[in-house]
Amino acid sequence: MIESRVKEIISRVLNVPLGKVTNDLSSGDIPEWDSVGNLAIISTIEQEMEVEFPLEDLFDLTSVQTIIDEVTQLTTDV
Amino acid sequence: MYDAPHSPVLCEILRHSTITPDKVALVEGPNRITYSQLVANIEAAARYLCSKDIKPGDRILLAARKEVEFVYLYFAAHLSGVVNVVTDPTSPADRLEYIKDTVKPVAMFGVEGVSGRCISYGGVDWHLEQEEKLYLPRVDSSSVADVMFTTGTTGAPKGVCLSHDNIAGSAANINGFIGTDDGDVEVLGLPLSHSFGLGRLRCILMAGGTIVLVGNFANLKALFSVMENEHVTGFGMVPAVWQYIKCLSGRRIGKFARQLRYIEVGSAALPIEDKHLLMELFPTTRLCIHYGLTEASRALFTELHADADCLNTIGRPVSSRVEVCILDEDGNRLPDGQDGELCVRGNMVTRSYFLPEDNHEAFFGDWFRTGDWGHRDSSGRFYLTGRKKELINVGGEKVSPATIEDAIRSLGIADCACVAIPDPNGVLGEVPKAFLLNKGENLPTVDELKSGLAHLLSSHEIPVEWEWIDNIPRSSSGKIQRLKLKAG
Repeated sequence: MIESRVKEIISRVLNVPLGKVTNDLSSGDIPEWDSVGNLAIISTIEQEMEVEFPLEDLFDLTSVQTIIDEVTQLTTDV
Repeated sequence: MYDAPHSPVLCEILRHSTITPDKVALVEGPNRITYSQLVANIEAAARYLCSKDIKPGDRILLAARKEVEFVYLYFAAHLSGVVNVVTDPTSPADRLEYIKDTVKPVAMFGVEGVSGRCISYGGVDWHLEQEEKLYLPRVDSSSVADVMFTTGTTGAPKGVCLSHDNIAGSAANINGFIGTDDGDVEVLGLPLSHSFGLGRLRCILMAGGTIVLVGNFANLKALFSVMENEHVTGFGMVPAVWQYIKCLSGRRIGKFARQLRYIEVGSAALPIEDKHLLMELFPTTRLCIHYGLTEASRALFTELHADADCLNTIGRPVSSRVEVCILDEDGNRLPDGQDGELCVRGNMVTRSYFLPEDNHEAFFGDWFRTGDWGHRDSSGRFYLTGRKKELINVGGEKVSPATIEDAIRSLGIADCACVAIPDPNGVLGEVPKAFLLNKGENLPTVDELKSGLAHLLSSHEIPVEWEWIDNIPRSSSGKIQRLKLKAG
């Protein structure tokens, strides 16, 4: 559930096909996932999935999988 | 290797391949390309162009992907006298179609989403063409090398023609100011489709240094790892990237202060508090801030430590080969202290746009008109006070309000206007705000508009704020009065 929602948001925000958003895709791998796109992903996930990423963790959110793991951890902690 | 007297940039690369053939010129992922390999690959790519019957003066469309094949092909075109039309691989399809229809390329490489046959960079094997003969180009250094498309004020992108002399002159100016040399290793996260990023590539290769290509700045963890492992000595960034680095990594980048010899910043204004922070984090690094346009690349430079007493200046002319002056609306020179239009002439200034009609009002004689307003002080420093053109500067990307307005109207809004507002998140500098005419029936919602625009515009062109109003202010001639909306 979390995995599919995160992937759907990344696909929508970057305007790339869902099939391109694989677990090992990292920021910077595709031109669309640039710094502006990364900030948009972070803020959209925070808004739509009602989580707040700790500032110190943002540096490590570098791939689809790390974002999924972080959201999973944040929602489990709550 | 064939001689390339028409291309001073290539001549320098050739010289490095002779003097330091085993030195690494280019790093991209696992690829480490020495100067001799770079030259061999450029030559092979030039033979490939010949095998496709692409001749001097022909134009090819190149998507500026961060792949070594792009670099080979880009310089192969220069070697062959072929004109590069460099495009952004993430551009919307209609912009690419417009560019294609305008320049009528004989071949397209790495481009996706446009009609016609495109060749992917991975889809060619340069080395199959070893027996192919090279055309010796009948071009000289004043011939057009590249056409770069910039955002036009009226909406349609404008092709800027840059000669071999222009791009070499620009690289020499920049290297001279920054002090780049063959000992430098630069990490390049800027897009190669823009004058800033492509210029950095040429600067480093012309100086005989090493360039490390990374996708972009999004993955700071990877970027910092490259800085450490490759012993990076410099890089270029736009102010929005600096905001991003601060936001995601705090002051961590300061640990590279001792190894970074220079940082070049440009394409948008850097807030004064960020200038102070950079100076604090990088006390011995040359912090070079440029002012320029694709048409007149890096005309002015300021170095923060040297100009610490005057951090609001946009600098002085980059070299003795460049002149900047302030002219009034009739093209007359204005005295120091008086505001007028910044105009530039010099070795890197374009002589013409691709379409002759775009040259209308672009020049006063040989002075290129920037459309920016400002003045010079008695010490020769320049200051920016306003912008005549109504472009919105989204993190260094210039956006035409007319382009956004046309797209919104196509989605069922009778009239609208877009203006620049400060980015509420404090990252991008400016972002677009749309004013929509609240008139008509079954009007689309803002969410519907956003979703429709996602197919028509680049993501940075989509308005961040929206407001319904009862009247779009227009002048008697029908021109939208955006300043009135901006003033609120």
